[in-house]
Amino acid sequence: MALDYKSCINCKACETACKEENGVLLGADKHRIWVGVKEIEGEFPLLNIASNTFYPSQCQHCDNAPCQEVCPTQATYYDENGVVRVDSDKCILCSYCMNACPYDARYVDDRTDTVDKCNFCSDTRLVRGEVTTACQATCLTKVRIFGDLDDPESEISKVLREREHFTLKTHLGTKPKLFYLI
Amino acid sequence: MRMQSMIPMKQVTLKDLLQFEKRPLSIFMVLLTVGLLGLFATGAILYLMHGHHAYNVTREHPWGLLIAMYVFFVVSSTGLCIVSSLGHVFGIKEFEVISKRAILGAIVTIVSGFAVIALEIGHPIRMVIYNILTPGFTSAIWWMGTLYGAYLAFIIFEFIFLLRDDHKWSKFFGLGGLLVGIAAHSNLGAVFGFLVARPISNGVFYPIYFILSAMITGSYLLFILYGYKYRLNFPKPIEMMLKKLAKVLGLLLGILIFFEVWRMMTAIYGGMPGRADAAWHILTSPNFLIGEVLLGMLIPFIIILKSKGEAIKALVFASLSGMVGIFFMRYDLVHDTQLIPLQTLKIREYQLPPSFVEYMPSFAEIAIALGGVGLAILLYFLADKLFVLDSTKE
Ligand code: SF4
Ligand code: SF4
Ligand code: SF4
Repeated sequence: MALDYKSCINCKACETACKEENGVLLGADKHRIWVGVKEIEGEFPLLNIASNTFYPSQCQHCDNAPCQEVCPTQATYYDENGVVRVDSDKCILCSYCMNACPYDARYVDDRTDTVDKCNFCSDTRLVRGEVTTACQATCLTKVRIFGDLDDPESEISKVLREREHFTLKTHLGTKPKLFYLI
Repeated sequence: MRMQSMIPMKQVTLKDLLQFEKRPLSIFMVLLTVGLLGLFATGAILYLMHGHHAYNVTREHPWGLLIAMYVFFVVSSTGLCIVSSLGHVFGIKEFEVISKRAILGAIVTIVSGFAVIALEIGHPIRMVIYNILTPGFTSAIWWMGTLYGAYLAFIIFEFIFLLRDDHKWSKFFGLGGLLVGIAAHSNLGAVFGFLVARPISNGVFYPIYFILSAMITGSYLLFILYGYKYRLNFPKPIEMMLKKLAKVLGLLLGILIFFEVWRMMTAIYGGMPGRADAAWHILTSPNFLIGEVLLGMLIPFIIILKSKGEAIKALVFASLSGMVGIFFMRYDLVHDTQLIPLQTLKIREYQLPPSFVEYMPSFAEIAIALGGVGLAILLYFLADKLFVLDSTKE
C-alpha cells in the first residue's frame, strides 16, 4: 500500500471503516490502523507549520517480518499474496510478536483471545472479490493506493516508479511494504 | 511396591506427609506456604474468570510480572542444575554432597515456573499441539520451550538415578541435563536478545548474562536450602562445601558487576535513542539501584570479600537478600525491554506524546507470582519427606 500521506486530514474515517469491516472490538487498545500526529514544533508565533503532519499507518506487511520470525507455532505466516496473516487457530497468545513488531501494529482480539492485526481486509473484502481495502475505499482525500506490487502495470507500481517515497524504520531491515509518498 | 523398586522412596503415610516439627520457624514456613498457595488459587481463579483482563498487560506492555516470574523460576532451576553438576558431573569432591538436593530444587523450581507460565500463555494446550505440528524453528521461544521440556525429562531421570546411587547413569543424565539446560537457558536470553526493535535488549548480552546469573542464583538457593535445613549448625562436610561455594559465588558476582558496568557504559555512550535514554531510566530507578545492585549484588559480595568467604552463616541471610535482588533482575529485564514505546506518535486527541511505558502488576498477577513461590516450597517440603536427600556418608 502506498500512502499519499500529505493529503491526510486526520478525519479517522479509515480507522472507523476498518473497525466496522473487520469487526474490531471497541476500546482504544484495539485498533488495526491509526493516524499518528506529530507535536507542532516551535514557540508561538513562530510555529513550524510543516511539522504538523499526519501519518496514517498500520501493519507494514514487512517482507522480512520480525513477528513471523519469532512466532513459535507458525501462527503468523505470509499468505500467497505476501500479506502477513495470523492463523487464529494456531496462535497461543504468547504475545512474543507484539513485543517483536517494531511498529506496534498488533493487538489482542478478545473474541478469539489471539493476536490480530491489519491483513489488508484479506478475509473480508478481498475474499468477497473486492479489490480495495476498507480504509482505502472510505478515504475522502484518496490518501491510500492498494494493489499488487508484483504487477508492473498496477497503479501502485506506477506511483512508486514515479514518485519519491520512504518507509518507516527502514534501518531495521524489515522491508516494510507501506510506502509514504513524498 | 513396584514403584519403590524403581524409585527409592521412604515409607510414609499421608499423615507423615502433613506432619512437621512444631518449631517457630517451621510453623511460620507452613503458614506462609498455605497463605501463598491460597494466593495462587485466588489469582488462578481470577485469570480463569477474566482472562488477560485480570492482568495489567497492555498492547504496549504485553509481557508482565508472570513472564518475569517464569524467568525467575527457570533461572533458579538452571542455576541449581549447573552448580550441582560441579559435584557429580565434574567430580569436584566437596560439591558431591549437594547433588540430590540441588537437582530436586531444580525440578521443583522448573515445575513451579511451568505452572506460572501456563497461566500467562493464552492457550497452553494449543501450544503443546502446534509446537509439534508446525514448529517455528526461527523462534527463540520455540527452542526455549522445547529444550526446557527435554531438560525437565533429563533432570527427572538424573534425580531417579541419584536416588538409586547409580553413578554411571546419573552422570549421563546429569551431563545431558546440564547441556540441554544451558542451551535452553541461553535461548531464553535470546528471546530478549533477538528483539531487533528493542535496542536496549538486542544483542549478545542477555544469553550470556542469563547463564552467569543462573549460577549466582543456584548458589544463593543452596545457601538458603542448607541454612534452613541445618538451622545454621552445619556439619563439617557441608561447611567445607559452603565455604568453597562462597568463594565461587564471590568470583561470579565480581564478573557480574563487571558485565553490568560495561553494559551500561556501552548503552549510554553515543546517546543512541531508544538505548541511551532507556539506560538512563534504568540507572536512576530504585528497582535497579536498590533491588538489583544493592540487594542482588553488593550485600552478598561485600560479605564474601570482608570475610574472605568464611562467613557462611551471614551468607545465608545475604542469599535471601540476593534472591530478592535476583527477582528484581528478572522483573526489570522484562519491563526494561518494553520501556520505550514503539508507537512514537500521538494517535489520539488529548494524548501526551508517548514517553516511557508504565506498568504495575495487578493483584491477580502478584497473587500468582507469590503463589508460585508457595508451590515451590510445598513441592520441596513433600519431596524432602518422600526421598532420602542426603548422601549416606553424612
Ligand atoms: S480516511 Fe484518509 S484522510 Fe481520513 S484519516 Fe484516514 S487516511 Fe487520513
Ligand atoms: S509491521 Fe509488525 S505486524 Fe506487520 S508484518 Fe511487520 S512486524 Fe509483522
Ligand atoms: S501471540 Fe500468536 S501470533 Fe504472536 S507469536 Fe505468539 S503464537 Fe505467534
